[in-house]
Amino acid sequence: MREWAAKHRWESILIVVLAATIVVNVSLSPFYLGFGNFVNLFWLSIEKIIVVIVMTFVIINGEIDLSVASVMGFSAAVMATLYEGGEMAFVLAILIGIVAGALAGLLQGLVITRFGLPSLVVTLAGLIGFRGAARVLLEDRSVGDFPEWFERIGQQTLFGPFPVALVLFFVGLALAWIILERSAFGRKVYVIGNSADVARFSGIEVDSVKVRLFVASGTVAGLAGVLFAARVGAVQGTLGETYELDIITMVLLGGVSIFGGSGSMLGVVLALFTVLNIRNGLGLANIDGITQTGVIGLLLIGSVLVPNLARRYRLRRPAPEAMAHGPP
Amino acid sequence: MTESAAEAAPKSTRFLRPERVKEATLLAIIAVSVLVFAFLIEGYLSGRFFNRVTTSVVVVTLLAAAQALVIFSRNIDLSVGSIVGVAAYLTGDFLAATGQGPITAVLVAIVVGAVLGSVNGLLVAYGGVPAIIVTLGTLALFRTLLSIYSEGANVLAGDLPSWVLEFNNVTLFTIAGFQVRLVFLIAVFVVVGLQFALARLRWGRRIYAIGSNPSAAAQAGLPTASLVFWSFVGSGALAGLAGFMFLARAGTISATAGAGLELESVAAAVVGGVSILGGSGTMVGAFLGAVFIDTLKLSLVRVPEVSEFWRDAFLGILILAAVILDTVLRNRFNRRWSAEARKAMESTGPSAVGMARMAGGGGGTADA
Amino acid sequence: MSEPRPVIEIKGVSKRFDATQALSEVSLSLRAGEIHSLVGENGAGKSTLIKIMTGLYPADSGEMTLGGEPFAPRSSADAQRQGIAAIYQEPSVFPDLSVAENIFIGHQDQGMMVDWSTMYREASRILAKLDIEIDPRLPAAGLTVAGQQAVEIAKAISLDVRVLIMDEPTAALSAHEVDRLFRQVRSLKEAGVSVLFITHRLEELFAISDRISVFRDGRHISTRPANEVTEESLVREMVGRDPSDFFARGEHPEGEAVLRVDSLGVSGVFSDVTFDVRRGEVLGFAGLVGSGRTDIALSLFGVHPADEGTIELEGQTLDIRSPRQALASGIAYLSEDRRRLGLSVEQSLVANVTLATLNRYTSALGLIDRDQERADAEALRQRLGIRAPSLSTPVSQLSGGNQQKTMLAKWLNTHPKVLILDEPTRGIDVGAKADVHKFIDELATSGIAIMLISSDLPEVIAMSDRVAVMREGSLIGIYPRRDATQERIMTAAVGAR
Repeated sequence: MREWAAKHRWESILIVVLAATIVVNVSLSPFYLGFGNFVNLFWLSIEKIIVVIVMTFVIINGEIDLSVASVMGFSAAVMATLYEGGEMAFVLAILIGIVAGALAGLLQGLVITRFGLPSLVVTLAGLIGFRGAARVLLEDRSVGDFPEWFERIGQQTLFGPFPVALVLFFVGLALAWIILERSAFGRKVYVIGNSADVARFSGIEVDSVKVRLFVASGTVAGLAGVLFAARVGAVQGTLGETYELDIITMVLLGGVSIFGGSGSMLGVVLALFTVLNIRNGLGLANIDGITQTGVIGLLLIGSVLVPNLARRYRLRRPAPEAMAHGPP
Repeated sequence: MTESAAEAAPKSTRFLRPERVKEATLLAIIAVSVLVFAFLIEGYLSGRFFNRVTTSVVVVTLLAAAQALVIFSRNIDLSVGSIVGVAAYLTGDFLAATGQGPITAVLVAIVVGAVLGSVNGLLVAYGGVPAIIVTLGTLALFRTLLSIYSEGANVLAGDLPSWVLEFNNVTLFTIAGFQVRLVFLIAVFVVVGLQFALARLRWGRRIYAIGSNPSAAAQAGLPTASLVFWSFVGSGALAGLAGFMFLARAGTISATAGAGLELESVAAAVVGGVSILGGSGTMVGAFLGAVFIDTLKLSLVRVPEVSEFWRDAFLGILILAAVILDTVLRNRFNRRWSAEARKAMESTGPSAVGMARMAGGGGGTADA
Repeated sequence: MSEPRPVIEIKGVSKRFDATQALSEVSLSLRAGEIHSLVGENGAGKSTLIKIMTGLYPADSGEMTLGGEPFAPRSSADAQRQGIAAIYQEPSVFPDLSVAENIFIGHQDQGMMVDWSTMYREASRILAKLDIEIDPRLPAAGLTVAGQQAVEIAKAISLDVRVLIMDEPTAALSAHEVDRLFRQVRSLKEAGVSVLFITHRLEELFAISDRISVFRDGRHISTRPANEVTEESLVREMVGRDPSDFFARGEHPEGEAVLRVDSLGVSGVFSDVTFDVRRGEVLGFAGLVGSGRTDIALSLFGVHPADEGTIELEGQTLDIRSPRQALASGIAYLSEDRRRLGLSVEQSLVANVTLATLNRYTSALGLIDRDQERADAEALRQRLGIRAPSLSTPVSQLSGGNQQKTMLAKWLNTHPKVLILDEPTRGIDVGAKADVHKFIDELATSGIAIMLISSDLPEVIAMSDRVAVMREGSLIGIYPRRDATQERIMTAAVGAR
């Protein structure tokens, strides 16, 4: 137990924070422990948390995708525009919307790998560009009146009391977990994040891994856009705006290094639970959304700062081998 | 080895500095686009349009400068939009209560910005937290503090001293309908001053040195922590000044004022040739980047064939084009100079740049 | 000049890191105008001493004096101000800044303003003194390693240092560049600077040193004038055992050619290179750094594909365009740059050993067979004698020698037909070096065709069946073992004088 905590310091911190949050929440509101609240917790953020999972891969790989929220808007806009024309089966419109997201990811992945550009810059262009594309499609309209089944898609229970969206999320999470930590692909994601050159010299198909990750990111963002549309029942050009910061915050809070190469799915899941619970608790205490975001911002900084200061206090002297060559 | 050891200062025409090439390229692109717009839009090349651009570009210019200042040292400041909001709101509140004049107001805005910037700087330079994490956090945090402080109320234009709303239109002199306004002149003055400081002051060169190779900077004994700290304070102060300009332009300020400007400022700097990996770029470049983006924004809406909704889509493509061009230029320059260095060193070795190229180019953001 | 006064004197300095006693009661003194070499295996405490001298660590006990005054630098800047500077194996330049700025950036005595023309003039003057022709206004991005080091030396000169520490400055240099570096070091000496010189190459030691000190296991073993030291005594003091079994390579029967390279070329880098490597043979590659040896390797390994000529492996013509293809055909390349191109240092020992062969451990579902992976890694760990706390230990925590062996294990695990070793013993200590030499011999005996690129001339001659010599992108000749003398190869490598 202690050994585990020493090895997984970040996760241990998060477990403590999460436990504290839950205790406070329970004492705060009798509704907190209800099943309905639990389902709501996830359902109300479903479009964010599924993207968080893919973003974990992208950041461990040493890249970043700032465009996810705009791609969400773009995909939803494609779907809504096709549906609005009325000539296409709605299911097909949904599919094309998601494919549009995948293509957006593909485009960015190709530009990043072909030209060797920093993903921060390319996806910043994507952030602005795909949001623009969503506005081109929808201008300032709001498209709604989707079929009834679509608006219920998430809440529909699959088996027992579990809604479809929730089941899908947990299945997807399990899969992602296995891929990241048990598969060859996951291993490659870490190695590339450590050093793309080492990976390339070891015969790993670096560019292909990167492109696949950006396609995955685009596809899931597309799916998230569609789910968002289903949840709120309407699509506007601004759908999902500024979500990228929330999503990246959750990944970083999970202990994933912004420089790539390290981080764990457990950490990200704990961060995700923590953020959702804090928001939920603050919500129950009638604290508004902006303040909730501020609290999470504080937590993000604190989670890196506190261990840093503690380490500096404990070891005024660096280990001999680790410092032998100075910082990379 | 020849005997002609260069005793005198070498001649200065042997090569072009890459940053000058970038600036010239951007200037040419701006000129061409203005000509294209002049062709598409009737009465485009008028004093009125010049006045609009020079007024509206002020906020983004100051923010691009703020952003560039920290990017040079291989950091980033995602909180500038929130700083603009806080500075604009607090300054507005202060003016509404006291009715003070412009100099005091500008000082208040700058101090507010510098204080917030120092929070970022403290955490990055002395707390050892990566800038992107710190400023992602303070982006939210500053906004939250503002929202709590404002209690949902806005600063109203009507409560401000009358000089505030006229400030934007103060014209120093007019040449053939082209008004040179005070706010634009302030922005230009700031850019030129910073450009000078970064090129000529030891402090400025050291900022570049840190961004170019942080561990070497520490090894060379540069006070890296304090340099990074002060660059964040400077960035905050510039964002504070931008906050004042924002107030002067908008008049009414809500708790969400300035949201989204952080990414626009990064975009302007990057289009202006500031390398996101630190160590290279110029203030003039960042300024040109801001001017270019703003010109496009204001012009596209006037092209009858183009729906106003195309603006951002177009902007995305543009940013991409700018960075691709930048990379191509940089590679070409490095290759040429690498070849020269090989000759100069007589015995050739695979240069750092050459190796990177052989290894297949950029390692993405983890390149540090 | 009888018994000159020491410039810096270190008395009884100790330093402890958690469980490791890095330095115990070490004493050392440097005289003015002396080149003093410091040798010892990795982990002997050399680096720790340097870091204490340059203010990166405080000493636990003991004292230092500089010019008679107590000296306890708080930072490298502080050490520099007091006249001590260090140049490391891998120079750290600022690629975006000009050469002149690189030289003057750390100066504390300048005003607020940068006086460009004076700076350029001063930089030109110093560079000319070092016999180096670089335009000081150019950015440092394009400099070679030797050029970067020259800039660092220029920096030290500009700082007017009293003591210059050089930590393996020759590791990445060719023989020719080493010569020039030594000239520069000697001119520093003449100017009265004390130089503390650290190297793993014994022949350099005798060429440059006035006195030689040996460290072992954090202790000072001896300090003697260079002319009283023999290679044998030195090695014995360093490792505490007999040096007789270094360079253990025996004679080999000639096998058939495995790899045939015909008229290979990469435009602007090397051209018309023709050779073959036989089964069980070690083909050495000598030449100056930058003569094209590494470039041939990079081209065979698909990093920088050739634009002319043919590559034939076991009779089949190959068109190799990526490391992936090279590995699939059976060509492996151990890079000279361990940290940047060789190992994923944050990852575990196992992950590194199986890095190039992940597919072998991957099931149809894409999952890694972790038991098999560990079994193979364990086998290689034992075979190569890699010392590590466990298979899951991150490679960054291993010593240089063990990292090098890990990298070798990674490539052995690909079961290569042709193994290219690029400076396989650079920067590792004498013991690990002997181990690596033994493996090279074993591997060749097991039938692998080996290409050995090395700037260590005695090594390449002792280990190779034949030695190919490169100069300025051309293959000058291939010498069989019996004809390969140091003089002959050096003459070929630098060209007619």
